[in-house]
Amino acid sequence: MLTIKDLNASYGAITALHGLSLEVEEGELVALLGTNGAGKSTTLKSICGVLKPTSGTVTFLGEEITGKTPEAILRKGISLVPEGREIFTSLTVSENLRLGAFSSYNKKRYQADLEEMFELFPILKDRFNQPGGLLSGGEQQQLAIARALMSHPKLLMLDEPSLGLSPTLVNQIFDLIAKLRERGTTILLVEQNAERAVHLADRVYVLNTGNLEFAGTPDQLEKELDIADVYFGGDGEGHHEVTL
Amino acid sequence: MSLLQSPLSRMAKHSTAWILAAVLVVGAFVLNMAASGVIVDIYTYFCINLMLVLGLQIFMGNSGILNWTYVGFVGIGAYASSILSTSPAVKEMAVANMYPSLVELQTPIIPALIIGGLVAAAVAAAIAWPLMRLSNAVGVITLFATLIVIHVLMTQWDNVTNGPRTFFGVEYYTTIFIAAGAAAVTLVAAYYFRESSLGLRVRASRDDRFAAMACGVSVVGVRYYTFILSSFVAGLGGGIWAHYITSFSPKSFYMAEAFVLITMLVIGGAGSISGATIGAVIVTVMRESLRQIEGFLNNSGVIDFQVYGLTELTVAILMIIILIWRPEGIVGGQELRLPFVGSKHRSAESADEASS
Amino acid sequence: MIFGEFVINTLSLGSLYALVALGLVFVYGILKLVNFAYGEYVMVAGYSMYILGAFTPVPWWVTMIVAVAMAALTSYLTELVAFRRVRQKSDNAALVTSFAVMVLLQNAVLLFVSPRARAVKLPSAFSESITILGVVTPLRNVLTIATTLVLLLGLTLLMKYTVLGIAMRAAADKFTTTRLMGVQANLVISFAFIISGFLAGVVSIFWVGRSASVDPLIGFTPLLIAFIATVIGGMNSLVGAVAGGYVYGLLFNILSITLPASMISYRDAFMFMIVILFLLLRPEGMIKGNYTEERVG
Repeated sequence: MLTIKDLNASYGAITALHGLSLEVEEGELVALLGTNGAGKSTTLKSICGVLKPTSGTVTFLGEEITGKTPEAILRKGISLVPEGREIFTSLTVSENLRLGAFSSYNKKRYQADLEEMFELFPILKDRFNQPGGLLSGGEQQQLAIARALMSHPKLLMLDEPSLGLSPTLVNQIFDLIAKLRERGTTILLVEQNAERAVHLADRVYVLNTGNLEFAGTPDQLEKELDIADVYFGGDGEGHHEVTL
Repeated sequence: MSLLQSPLSRMAKHSTAWILAAVLVVGAFVLNMAASGVIVDIYTYFCINLMLVLGLQIFMGNSGILNWTYVGFVGIGAYASSILSTSPAVKEMAVANMYPSLVELQTPIIPALIIGGLVAAAVAAAIAWPLMRLSNAVGVITLFATLIVIHVLMTQWDNVTNGPRTFFGVEYYTTIFIAAGAAAVTLVAAYYFRESSLGLRVRASRDDRFAAMACGVSVVGVRYYTFILSSFVAGLGGGIWAHYITSFSPKSFYMAEAFVLITMLVIGGAGSISGATIGAVIVTVMRESLRQIEGFLNNSGVIDFQVYGLTELTVAILMIIILIWRPEGIVGGQELRLPFVGSKHRSAESADEASS
Repeated sequence: MIFGEFVINTLSLGSLYALVALGLVFVYGILKLVNFAYGEYVMVAGYSMYILGAFTPVPWWVTMIVAVAMAALTSYLTELVAFRRVRQKSDNAALVTSFAVMVLLQNAVLLFVSPRARAVKLPSAFSESITILGVVTPLRNVLTIATTLVLLLGLTLLMKYTVLGIAMRAAADKFTTTRLMGVQANLVISFAFIISGFLAGVVSIFWVGRSASVDPLIGFTPLLIAFIATVIGGMNSLVGAVAGGYVYGLLFNILSITLPASMISYRDAFMFMIVILFLLLRPEGMIKGNYTEERVG
């Protein structure tokens, strides 16, 4: 579905990605892991057009989308839930959702979509007419995901959805991601909370300072990790959590 | 590396500035001998403008803040030095309402020029601290508003400036050599300022304000001192300009002139001395040739109406085209290096610039 | 009834200034570009009225519609031809470009029309007076207030209830994220320029209406007023711009009354000094938007 080949990206003089290649198949949940500054967010930004890669190609559903504008890429069916949620704080929850459906608005379907979102995220129904800025962190994260889903994406990309949330809320978010996956949504998930992400994922990529370090299934990663524990700085007992 | 640097190689590192300065001075001698009066006039005027642009570059280029007020300080220097250098008899005639104490005042020209610069710097020092705290659009608008305040004062305070009327009778002093010399000195000074500790800190504050603060740079402080220095050059240049043009009015220090100076700087590339210089050359050549065309059209009777605004119109169009083509200016943010000198320092320097 | 006169004058002046400020902020809010060419849209509308009035037999209402449309079109074209290519690359370049566009438009009129002022034909309503609550006032003032109220109401509805309005508010808040919603950047920006030019056109009708003439420099004062009013009100808020316009109108009228005759020529300088002082105390303006980057230390 999504194929990235030899992607290079940089911020000014600093190269953030060195020839990254990865693939996401339809219906998969792929986790992209790595420490801070490994290039995870850069990868997502390059896919969705916020950052223009310096070289390499991004192909989606057989069509090259490298260097297209964010709005064009969204219309192809890729939706990003950005890091830090990026809720429009001065807009109401309702308006945030309405913008989510900007590209594919259809009056009949819109009501049904809203109902579906209320089912997934009941809190949004209560907050429907409040400004996004008044929502708590967890509520904002739910709104950000709902907003992204409103465009009926073929590929949903989540950038650190659990960042800055309390453990209970983290559980909630991961349950939600599992639910989305069951619905058949293809997901590319970037996470620092590696263990939880690996647990959910069909396949895993690990980035380190812009280079691909591992690509494979969660099982393969477990095996490698036993050897690589020292390298990754884990505690050697299978708890790899945030240190990964 | 700095330990190994001999004074000579230090010179070589700054060779661009020294060579440009030498070219300016040599150019003055050559043109003075060989060229017609019109060319000498244009060259003199170019040198004065270059000095003013370099003064503007000191603050705007290094801090990244669009400085509309600059031309106001040029005006302050022009008025202050002219009031000092002009004899009481002339002033009594030229400025009807001038305060008697100002009429009495007279100094030789050179001290008058320097005091002109100092007055501009003092005014800058008095008002700039709070202005330097503002950023972005609010900063731009405030500096713009400050220029308007200075302009209103110049046009209304007729006990000092003769109001909106022309201040005339200023002695002619600025020859092609003085203009070229002043431009050359300013050029080298601006170049060394850029590399100085203060210059480095203010550039750091331009590139990343928060990183600079984290390194202990007082952003407001470094901007403030740079602004004063820039205003001093403005005042000095204003005096030199006044003693070339010999009669002027507040109109000379307003939007149109601010636009010309800012255009010169931005077209060439505000971040570098060579950019400022190239911008000044291009705009001068453009303006002067267009003026000739406009003058020809108006005098020859080819068309039966007077042409106004052709020069400004064309400059504005060219300006937009150049900015579309190269938004960072023709030279860009880096200092232009002459290919035949100082090449061994290139690697270290370019690394420095890459990070900026 | 001096007080009543003062109130109506202030409301009328404030309404005009509110529209002026609003037009500038529409573009600033989204692009963070201080558009120096904004005043020239007022000029373009003024000259459109002059040309239509002097050389064609069209009725006055057609003249006005065309004038407003010309201002909106000019605004859109300046974005299309100049700003669009510069704005993503450098903030200073965009600012200087807008100044260059201002110089360009001014000098185009100097060159192709005339440096001298031209008389503009206006409907007789602009020179009539009426009596409201015992106050005799030019009908023009009442028209200004009424038009402003209608426009403000219309714009509020537009911004609140249409998807384009929602997208514009979102873009002023977080531009890149708005694009991630599939909102075309150029759509929002073009629309902002069109509204900005439209408001400048409406302002032009009343501005020209006061003197019944137009000259190449007519756009400069509206530009300055827009600067002051937006800075007072808050550069990042549409409501702030409107509030700033009314405050500026009030301040202007108070200064006009209270300053001694010998100081009246310094009025503009006083206005600007008040603005500068105000900015130093409260750089974000009366109404703070979402964007907070105005002050360094």
